[in-house]
Amino acid sequence: MTTRTAPFSPNALPTLFAACVLIALWQALASATADMFVFAGPLAVLGAIAEEGSLLLRSSGITLQSAAIGFFIGNVAAILLAGIALALPRLEQLVSGLALVFFCLPFVATGPILRVIFGVGDGPQITLAALATYYTTYLCLLVGLRATPGSWLDLVRSYGRGRLSELIHVRAMASLPYFIAGLQIGAPAAFLGAMVGEFTGAERGLGVLSIRAMRGLDVEMTWAIATTAAALSAAAFWLFGWLGRCLGAGPPPLLLASRQDGPSVGMTARTGSGLIYLILLILAVLGVWIGLIKGLNLSPFFAKGPQDVWAFLVSDPAAATNRAALFTAFWQTLSLTIPGYLVGLALGAGLAVLLVTQPRLASATLPIAIALRSIPIVTTAPLFVLALGRGAVGTITIVAVMIFFPTLAACLEGMRRTPRPVLDLFSTYAASPWQRLAHAQLPAMAPAFFASARMAVPSALLAATTAEWLATGTGMGSLMALTASTSNYNLLWSAIVVLAVTASLIYALVHILEQRVLHTFASEQLVQ
Amino acid sequence: MAEREASMPPKVVCKGLEKTFHLGGRAVDAVGPLDLTFEAGRTTALVGPSGCGKSTLLRLVAGLEKPSGGVISIGDETPEAVTKAAGLAFAFQDAALLPWLTVRQNVALALKLARRPADRERVDHLIALVGLRHFAETRPAELSGGMRQRAAIARCLVTQPGLLLLDEPFGAVDELTRTRLNAELPTLWQERGTTTLLVTHSIAEAATLSDRVLVFSPRPARITGDFDGARHNPAARPALIEAIASALGAKSGVEPVS
Ligand SMILES: Nc1ncnc2c1ncn2[C@@H]1O[C@H](COP(=O)(O)OP(=O)(O)OP(=O)(O)O)[C@@H](O)[C@H]1O
Ligand SMILES: [Mg+2]
Repeated sequence: MTTRTAPFSPNALPTLFAACVLIALWQALASATADMFVFAGPLAVLGAIAEEGSLLLRSSGITLQSAAIGFFIGNVAAILLAGIALALPRLEQLVSGLALVFFCLPFVATGPILRVIFGVGDGPQITLAALATYYTTYLCLLVGLRATPGSWLDLVRSYGRGRLSELIHVRAMASLPYFIAGLQIGAPAAFLGAMVGEFTGAERGLGVLSIRAMRGLDVEMTWAIATTAAALSAAAFWLFGWLGRCLGAGPPPLLLASRQDGPSVGMTARTGSGLIYLILLILAVLGVWIGLIKGLNLSPFFAKGPQDVWAFLVSDPAAATNRAALFTAFWQTLSLTIPGYLVGLALGAGLAVLLVTQPRLASATLPIAIALRSIPIVTTAPLFVLALGRGAVGTITIVAVMIFFPTLAACLEGMRRTPRPVLDLFSTYAASPWQRLAHAQLPAMAPAFFASARMAVPSALLAATTAEWLATGTGMGSLMALTASTSNYNLLWSAIVVLAVTASLIYALVHILEQRVLHTFASEQLVQ
Repeated sequence: MAEREASMPPKVVCKGLEKTFHLGGRAVDAVGPLDLTFEAGRTTALVGPSGCGKSTLLRLVAGLEKPSGGVISIGDETPEAVTKAAGLAFAFQDAALLPWLTVRQNVALALKLARRPADRERVDHLIALVGLRHFAETRPAELSGGMRQRAAIARCLVTQPGLLLLDEPFGAVDELTRTRLNAELPTLWQERGTTTLLVTHSIAEAATLSDRVLVFSPRPARITGDFDGARHNPAARPALIEAIASALGAKSGVEPVS
C-alpha cells in the first residue's frame, strides 16, 4: 500500500493572512518603486481592471477559448502517447524522447512560423497551447500508469484476465490522481501558450492587449492583464483539483518522479545502447519533421527541412558567416538563461526550505505559491527589462522569476509529502528541525525539486527569448523575431534546431544529475 | 444456482518444480526442486522462514509466475487454464483491495473479473459472513487491517473457486483478532471442501487449521517437514506444534517460538 502522508490542513485563515501580507508587500513594492514604472500595486491594478473591465472580459474569453481547445488537443495527444508507451514498452524511450524534443521547441520561433502557416485566426494560439500542455500530462500519466502496486495487477491476472482488464479495472483509476495533477500543471501552461501565440500577430485576445499595453508602457494595464491571466490560470488549477476530489482522486504519492533504470531521455550510462537510442531518436525526429512538412504540404518558402538547415549551417558557401551570426546570438542568450535558471531554482528551493522549518507558515503559503505559479511572468518581461536596463540583469531577473514560483510550489508540495510515520519517528526522538530537514524533508523534496528543474529548462529559454524578442533586442529572441520579419526562414529553422537541441540536452543533463543524486540520497523515491 | 457455478476442488501436483529469479545477472533460486501433491479438498499449511519462497510457490500455482523447471497440474489442467476459468482465488499478503472501490464493489469486482453475472445477493451474503455487513459501503482506507483482510477473503470466496491460495491472510492482524478469525473464517471454505494452500508465519495457526503441515527450508524452498495437521484433533496439537517448531528451528537457525 502507498504510505499515508501528512494531511494537508485546509485551515484557510493562515492562508488568508499570508495572502494579505503578500498583497501588502506588493503594494509596498509598487509604492517604493513608483518612479521606475515597473510595478503597479494591487490598488492600481484593481482600478485598471474596473476601468477596462469589459475589454478584459472579452479578451479573456477569446484567449480562454484558444487555450481550452489547445489544452484539450494536448491532453488527448498525451493520452495517446502514454497509451503507445504502455502498450509497446520497447518504444517507450523513443516516444518519451520525441515528446521531449517537441516540448523543447522555442515558442518565439515556432510562433511566427505557425502564424505564416495558419495566417490570421487562432491556429498558432491553439497549437502553442497544445504544445505547452501535452508533455507534463504525458509524464504524469506515465508515472501513474507505472506506479500501480504489483498485487493489484496480480489480482486481475489471478482471474485469468489480461492487459486490457488491467487497464480498465486498475491502471486507469490508479493513474487518475497523476492525470489530474498533469491537468492542473497543464492548464496555466496552456493559457501561457495561447498568449504567446497571440503575441505573434493575432487580432484579439489577452496577448494582443498585453503587447499593446507593453508597447505603450501602460504599467497598470500590463499588470492588470497579468493579474487577470494569473487569476484565470489559478481558477483552472483549482477547478481540476476539485474535479479530481469529486472523482475520488487524492494527490498522487509521487509526481513526475524518475525511473530507476536509466533516464528516459537517452544518454544512459551504458554508452552502447545510449548511442543506438540517440541515433534512433535523431532519425525519428527527422522523420517526423520531414513527414509533417510533406504531409501538410507546406510551402518550401517558409517550411525548411533538415537538408535546408544542414546547407545553411554546414555545406553552404556562406555557412561560416551563418554559423557566426547564429552562435553569437545563441551564446548571448545562453549566458543570460543559465544564471537566471540557477538563481530561480536556488531561490525557489531556498525559500521552500526556510518556510518548511516553520510548518504553519509552509502550509499557509503553499496555496499562494501555487496561485503565483500561474502568473504568466513572460508577459511582464518588457517592464522588467525597462526597469532594470537592457543589460544582463533584466533578462536574468525575468528568467529567475519565471523559474522561482513553480520551483517554490513543487518543493513545498514535495516536503509536505514527507511520510507521516517518518516525521512521527523524528518527533519521538525530539529531533531538531534541522535534523528533520536533513534526514526527512530534503530527501522528500528532492524528486519534486528535480522534476521542476527539468520542466524549467524550456520555460527558462522561453522567458529569455521572449524578453529578448519583446524588449532587449539581443540574442536568439531578437534574431528569431528579425528573421521572421525578413523572411530568412533558413536562419529561423536553424535557430529552432539549435534551441530545441540545447534544451533537450540540458534536460537530459539535469535528468542524469537527478538519477545520481536520488540514487545516493533518496533511492526509495525512485519509481521502479 | 450458486451450486452450478462452484468448481469441484482439484488435486494439485507439482513435479520437479523449480523457480530461479534473475536479478541483473545474479541468479536467485527461490523454489525447489519440489515434488508435491496437494490432495483435493484438503487444507495444507505452508510454513518456513521469511524469504524462503512460500509466496513464490503460491504464485507459481496461480500461474502468476512461470516455473524455471518442472510442471504444475491442477486437476488435469495447467495453472493458466484454471485461472482463465476463474477456478482459483488468491488472497494476497497485502489484501490488494482497490482503494477507490467500496468493500461491496471490491467483492463484486471478483465476479466481474471472473466474467460471472453480477450477483448482489451473494456479494452481500459473503460480506455479512465475514462480519462486514455494516461496512459494505466503506472504502478500504477507513478499515482496520483485519477488516481489510476479511474483505479480501470475501472477495476470494465470492467466485466459489475450487482452489484457494491464501498468502498469510491473517498476517496484519493482532493475536486476539487472529484467534477469532481462525475460529470463524476457515469453516467458510473448509465446509465446502475447497483445496486450500495456506501460507502462515504462525505455527499454532498451521497446526489448528490444516489437514497437513509442510515445513520449508530457507531459500530455495525445499520440504524439511511433512506432518498431519490437527484440525480435527485438538489433543494432538501441542505435540504437533512442538514438532513443527523443531523442524523450523533446526533448519533455519531461528529459535523456535513456543
Ligand atoms: N520478482 C522477483 N524477482 C526477484 N527475486 C524475487 C522475486 N520474488 C521473490 N524473489 C526472491 O525470492 C525469494 C523468495 O521470496 P518469497 O516472496 O517467495 O518469500 P516468502 O517465503 O513468501 O517470504 P515471506 O514469508 O517474508 O513473505 C526471496 O529471496 C526474494 O528476494
Ligand atoms: Mg511471502
